[in-house]
Amino acid sequence: MIKNLHIWLFAFTITLLYFYGLDLFIMSMQGLPLNMDLTPAQ
Amino acid sequence: MKASRYSLRWVWMTLLIIAALSFFWSGAMTTSSGGWFSEAIAANNTSIGEVTTENDELKLRPAPKPTRADYPDIGVSSRSIVWVVAQMHLFFGALVLAVPLFVLVIELLGVYTGDSRYDDMAHEFMKISITAYSITALFGGTLALALFLLYPDLMAYMMRVFGAQMMVYGILFFLESMILYIYYYGWDALRYGNAKWVHLSLGLLLNGVGATLMVTANSWATFMMAPSGVNEVGAVVGNIWEIMKGPLWNPINLHRFIANIAFGGAVVGAYAAYKCLAARTTEARAHYDWMGYTSNFIAILAFLPLPFAGYWLMAEIYAYSQQMGITAMGGILAWLFIIQAVLIGTILLAGNYYLWSGMSRTEGSKRYQGFVKYIAVVLVICFLIWVTPHTLILTSGEIAALGGSHHHLLGPLGIMPAKNIAVNLMLVFTFMSFQIYRRSDKVATVSWAKAGNALMIAIYAVAIINIIFAGVYYGYFTNTVYKVGSSVMQVMSTLTVIICGVVLDAFLYRGAKTLPSHWGQVSNRAQYALFALPIAFTWLMALMGYVRSSVRTHWHVYTVMKDTSPDNFIPTIGYAGNMMTIVTVLFVLFVLFIFWIANLSGTKQVPAYAVNKEPTAERVGSVT
Repeated sequence: MIKNLHIWLFAFTITLLYFYGLDLFIMSMQGLPLNMDLTPAQ
Repeated sequence: MKASRYSLRWVWMTLLIIAALSFFWSGAMTTSSGGWFSEAIAANNTSIGEVTTENDELKLRPAPKPTRADYPDIGVSSRSIVWVVAQMHLFFGALVLAVPLFVLVIELLGVYTGDSRYDDMAHEFMKISITAYSITALFGGTLALALFLLYPDLMAYMMRVFGAQMMVYGILFFLESMILYIYYYGWDALRYGNAKWVHLSLGLLLNGVGATLMVTANSWATFMMAPSGVNEVGAVVGNIWEIMKGPLWNPINLHRFIANIAFGGAVVGAYAAYKCLAARTTEARAHYDWMGYTSNFIAILAFLPLPFAGYWLMAEIYAYSQQMGITAMGGILAWLFIIQAVLIGTILLAGNYYLWSGMSRTEGSKRYQGFVKYIAVVLVICFLIWVTPHTLILTSGEIAALGGSHHHLLGPLGIMPAKNIAVNLMLVFTFMSFQIYRRSDKVATVSWAKAGNALMIAIYAVAIINIIFAGVYYGYFTNTVYKVGSSVMQVMSTLTVIICGVVLDAFLYRGAKTLPSHWGQVSNRAQYALFALPIAFTWLMALMGYVRSSVRTHWHVYTVMKDTSPDNFIPTIGYAGNMMTIVTVLFVLFVLFIFWIANLSGTKQVPAYAVNKEPTAERVGSVT
């Protein structure tokens, strides 16, 4: 049970980090910040 | 034996070198360093200010300015004639260029697996291509005649701009024909051992020449849309390479290359479905069921990245000319993108339906059948969002009743952020169907199977959240620059799912336990889905080909040579729709003819003396 939980936590952590890095990379490549504060950009 | 092997190795090497040379033929001869080809065609970096000689003045002739009287009138709309013939040539051209591409891969697969079924299937695919090739050439010749007859000034100008490159195209066409016939008719003569590698090299050569043919012809179309290598009045000021490599050339090359594979896969899938439904034995039905599955696999796999290539093309069109981009997606042609959504939705629904039906071939599919209804719901919701128009055609009474020109609920769904979410989710869920289908006859035996599955589920979940978040937040709550920028995030999320899914499954199911599959044990309805695919693909190609060509509006060559013919206007959507339908029906009729011919070649008449009971009767029996 604990082992399963670790597997899932590990899988989601890796995936979240990957997608965050991907988003950051793609937006910075276009000269845009990854605006995560939900404030409309000007 | 050893000497023979060495000599064959030389033959392969020679063929490969010829393939490489032919592939880079146009590029190598047309570099700005100036070979005979460049010098023969271009004014080699000559600017208008440097014109001093009479010869240079001749080279700097502007594009012609024909009057209406310069267009021959044969009593029928010239545009309609060229429209139909050009579209038919393109359909068949796409088919004959695409089929050898995946045939080569299937043939290679047969060599590596040692399974002769792959080889037989590849050979049968080529049988369809060989008949289609003759029809392609016939339509190509007719198109050239029609263009020279009906648009003489335009063709004179195109000949002046492209010059000897047109002859290179002709030479390539000869090469393509010769290699194609050797490749097809030499199949059984070069089937085993070293000879097989000679045959594979011929296939590679065929595809090299075919791809070069395609990109050469593409340069004519893209020159008309976004001319390069000419000045503002259309005089040639660059060499042939500068003329060819306009801003839209590579986007079109990539888009057509992928689209051709998807289209070719769909057409041969219909052939397999036709043969499967007509099969009289269990073995034949199983064979054609497997062939149909392979065709669908090719069509859907090529189709998944296609929207991204289309996205790149449209982005380049906008970058080249905002006016052209807005004409396509914001003006009269915008409605055609709604029809495009309907057709792509049809393709995805048909492709998914085929996969779901095909899961009945194996008992292992029961593990995944529960997912199907959820995938179907997502696909239908996304499809409905995609087809929602932003601006409705309304009467004044309807606008008053609505309280504005945009419906308060449907308005937000009609803009790109919503559609981007819908398209990406449809692709992700189609891949999910594809993946569960592939997994249904296997049980993973690797020790890390549980972790691998958890990772795949996490990738799906986070990618879906990322696609929705990027679309909603950046699409609706920030300004336009973020909206466009974040669409790349969505595209990359979808591609991540596809690439990770393919790679992960390749390792996860290495040495997996295989459950029995019963080829042929599939409903007839699944075969009808295989008929729906090529029809929708054909219609889609006719539709988007029309959009691509129409963005030039009243120009033969955009901003350089005006169209002053009686047809120099964008026709109504209804008229264009009828034309697309005519070419689609015509293509389907020709494809049926090809299927019939392919079937006829495998049919042998039984001699009268062999039929004991009815000596005078002539019976026809299929050997398949």
